[in-house]
Amino acid sequence: MQTDKFFKEIQNVVHPHEKLVSTHCCYCGMQCGMKLRVDTNTNTIVGVEPRYDFPVNLGKMCPKGVTAYQQVNHPDRIKRPLVRKNPALKGTPDGFEEVSWEEALSLITDRFRDMQGKYGKDTLSVFSGVSMTNEKCYLTGKFARVALQTRYVDYNGRFCMSSAAAGLNRSLGIDRGSTVPWTDLHQTDCLFIAGSNAAECHPTSMFRIWEVQNRGGYLIVADPRETPLARRADIHLDLRPGTDLALANGIVHLLIKNGYVDEEFVRNHTNGFAETKELLEAYTPEYVSGITGIATEKIIRAAEIYGKAPEAIVMFCRGAEQQSKGTDNVSAYTNMALVTGKIGRPKSGVATFTGQGNGQGGREHGQKADQLPGYRKMDNPEHVKEVACAWGIPVEEMPQKGVSAYEMFGLMLDKTIRGLYLLCSNPAVSAPNQNHVRAALQSLDFMVCCDFYLSESAEYADVVLPVTTWAEDDGTTTNLEGRIIRHVKAQEWYAESKPDWWIQIEIAKRMGRGQYFEHLKDPRDIFDELRRVSKGGVADYSGVTYEKIEKNNGVFWPCVSEEDQGMPHLFLDKKFYHPDGKAKICALPYRPPAEEPDEDYPLRLTTGRVVYHYLSGNQTRRIPFLHAMYPDPLLEIHPETAERYGLQNGETVLLKTRRGEAPYKVKVIAAIRPDTVFVPYHWGKHESINLLTNPALDPYSKMPEFKACAAQLIKLGREERRHG
Amino acid sequence: MGKQVLYIEMDNCIGCRSCLAACTQCGGHDNRNRNYVMDVDPFHTRQTIPLMCLHCVNPACARSCPAQAIQIADNGAVLSALVEKCIGCQNCTIACPYGIPKFDQEQNLMYKCDLCYDRTKDGIPPMCASVCPTNTLQWIDEAELARKQEQHLLSNGKWVASQPFNPLEGETNVRISLPGILQGREKLF
Repeated sequence: MQTDKFFKEIQNVVHPHEKLVSTHCCYCGMQCGMKLRVDTNTNTIVGVEPRYDFPVNLGKMCPKGVTAYQQVNHPDRIKRPLVRKNPALKGTPDGFEEVSWEEALSLITDRFRDMQGKYGKDTLSVFSGVSMTNEKCYLTGKFARVALQTRYVDYNGRFCMSSAAAGLNRSLGIDRGSTVPWTDLHQTDCLFIAGSNAAECHPTSMFRIWEVQNRGGYLIVADPRETPLARRADIHLDLRPGTDLALANGIVHLLIKNGYVDEEFVRNHTNGFAETKELLEAYTPEYVSGITGIATEKIIRAAEIYGKAPEAIVMFCRGAEQQSKGTDNVSAYTNMALVTGKIGRPKSGVATFTGQGNGQGGREHGQKADQLPGYRKMDNPEHVKEVACAWGIPVEEMPQKGVSAYEMFGLMLDKTIRGLYLLCSNPAVSAPNQNHVRAALQSLDFMVCCDFYLSESAEYADVVLPVTTWAEDDGTTTNLEGRIIRHVKAQEWYAESKPDWWIQIEIAKRMGRGQYFEHLKDPRDIFDELRRVSKGGVADYSGVTYEKIEKNNGVFWPCVSEEDQGMPHLFLDKKFYHPDGKAKICALPYRPPAEEPDEDYPLRLTTGRVVYHYLSGNQTRRIPFLHAMYPDPLLEIHPETAERYGLQNGETVLLKTRRGEAPYKVKVIAAIRPDTVFVPYHWGKHESINLLTNPALDPYSKMPEFKACAAQLIKLGREERRHG
Repeated sequence: MGKQVLYIEMDNCIGCRSCLAACTQCGGHDNRNRNYVMDVDPFHTRQTIPLMCLHCVNPACARSCPAQAIQIADNGAVLSALVEKCIGCQNCTIACPYGIPKFDQEQNLMYKCDLCYDRTKDGIPPMCASVCPTNTLQWIDEAELARKQEQHLLSNGKWVASQPFNPLEGETNVRISLPGILQGREKLF
């Protein structure tokens, strides 16, 4: 057992006629350990107990985690497959009828065959997600490419982790979200956190973050809002949304100018320093202050603290990543660690706060349009050959690479894609530019949606398949540290629901591709295949077993053999994963957000989350406690700005961008920049802020610019308020 | 391990209200939470603070109870009103200077934080302190408490920092008038 200063040996309470099942939370990338209370008479999950001995969270949970179990036997669960009998009601929750699995699967395979016969294999698409196990994520990639034989597979990580992935790959040659284990965080001397509201989005990190300050260390936070994290920061860099690249460049400029460069590290272990130094000459505090709106003295002080800190960790999250230059932001913040050599040792490094539960593992094993298991690339013929060989398909049968998540909606509208198999995602809330996305879903000839609740996206489906929740299946996920952990089945499949892997194997058989799937009987079989197929890739899981995970409280990849216990710290040997073993310091000129405020749209709109809800809210909006705490989206606005519009707290406004509009109640609070408004994105239909967000894509990661666009605000009179 | 106490570090609070969610999960709490998290100045800052029962040594709620329904457990936990004794007068809800006791109109019964007595009697932390992701709420032993209190003494030996040695749960200078029948306050007719 790895222990640290927060560890205490505590016995769990076990209630009469109950047992405890040690597993993990279903929500964010923290993947907090928890114990589910199972009634041994009814074999149903009835509650939760802290898992004090899991080293990442030590029993701590956020309100989502505490109430997560309430999803499992929730009255809104879909019990049997649903088929849309009334196509006129597409886009509404009505017009479905319950059918048998046999009928639903026959209908799906008949339609899939028929469409592929008429329009070619690539007329089908798979849109997936990473709030599910590695086993399911791996199988989904194989299902798309081998069972459906389509090139069009991608997933909602494009709205989440893709910029971090692309940036870390470019800088370090490997995309493992954190170079250090989370148990290092509280031991470092300085945390530089950009674009993360960890207090609301990864709350169980907070006891470690505060401990840095308790020890006399420093907390620097870059965020347009004074979040609960920024509130206590030593330096709050209150930048304009979408200007991270200028800030990061400005900090590195000062690190170079003021002698904080680790010359030996830079010389021996990096490329690109000279051209970066040259480019950054122009990024003086005054220049950067002009772009970001941050006072020059704060920029200077932040650079000084980071430069002086014996150990420091640079962290970033969606605030920096969900921009049309998100990849550049990630590489630019990573430059801070590379020029100062504060990476490749304990207590120093870089980390991204992974959003979805399996955002890390789910992006490694091949449900991304350009990727294959083990983090192999589709544009590398060797990689394609290795995976085709492992799957037993002729190499020429491997489909070409597809397009990114958001780009798929465009192909639906032009009928390149006519069929959609959607699982583990709710793009009718979470994708940007909702009017476009909803029109695309409406235009499909045939759509299947797998979910355990009737989500906003399911309303567009022709067939809805009920799937199990996380607590009803075995498997693994990879948390935000890169630690592979074990989810344990605590209850039988609810009603007639089935796990996604079961459904995909059934459809594969019916599509005449059973020979590639029939040997997979349960999650362990799938994991063993994933291990074999990932062998030799960057994300090598071949040495990971369920037993090793349980014994060691998780295994950090890469883990390449039975003896290998995994790699909690990356780069201890100062070898990076580019072919020459060196990291890349990137020279990245600043460019503004795709849309800047102007006379017609004078405000900056940024979006994000609240602590009570998770992603599209399909899960959390149904939990009574969470709903009661934050029932409707609120628009945060600075008192000065509110006064300019004649607004009182609680009044309703219409917020508009060039793409859409939505009504919101305002929450007046001084903890936001006066030029910026903020709306959380967990709501659908007419309340969805993604009706307004900008789909401008990052050229590398294809991440849409959720975090910065231009908006106008209209105060609504009592009679004009819209409640659509 | 010795006696353990609930220790509150207000400034750590992020307002996640996980303590409230966890309170409902204790097992003996009928799925109702018993404490509060307050916004300090919501138009200005996101600062929040938990408002927990402080389990007074000489609790106003128990002293004001005409039916002796509020018992104090051996570990100092001031318990919810006993169902069989509580007469629903709500004296306790008025008496408590922190507004802790809640009242169930349907059951005509007061309920409040019992410091998860079923857990804490066995040295298991209460649910709120177990889950609190920020260490705003901590369950610590006396040695750790002494270490933390030590931090409030400045090195000149004269001055103390923000927190006095015997903070809120001890004697206070604010005195509270307890509800009840007072001498010289008879009805006029």
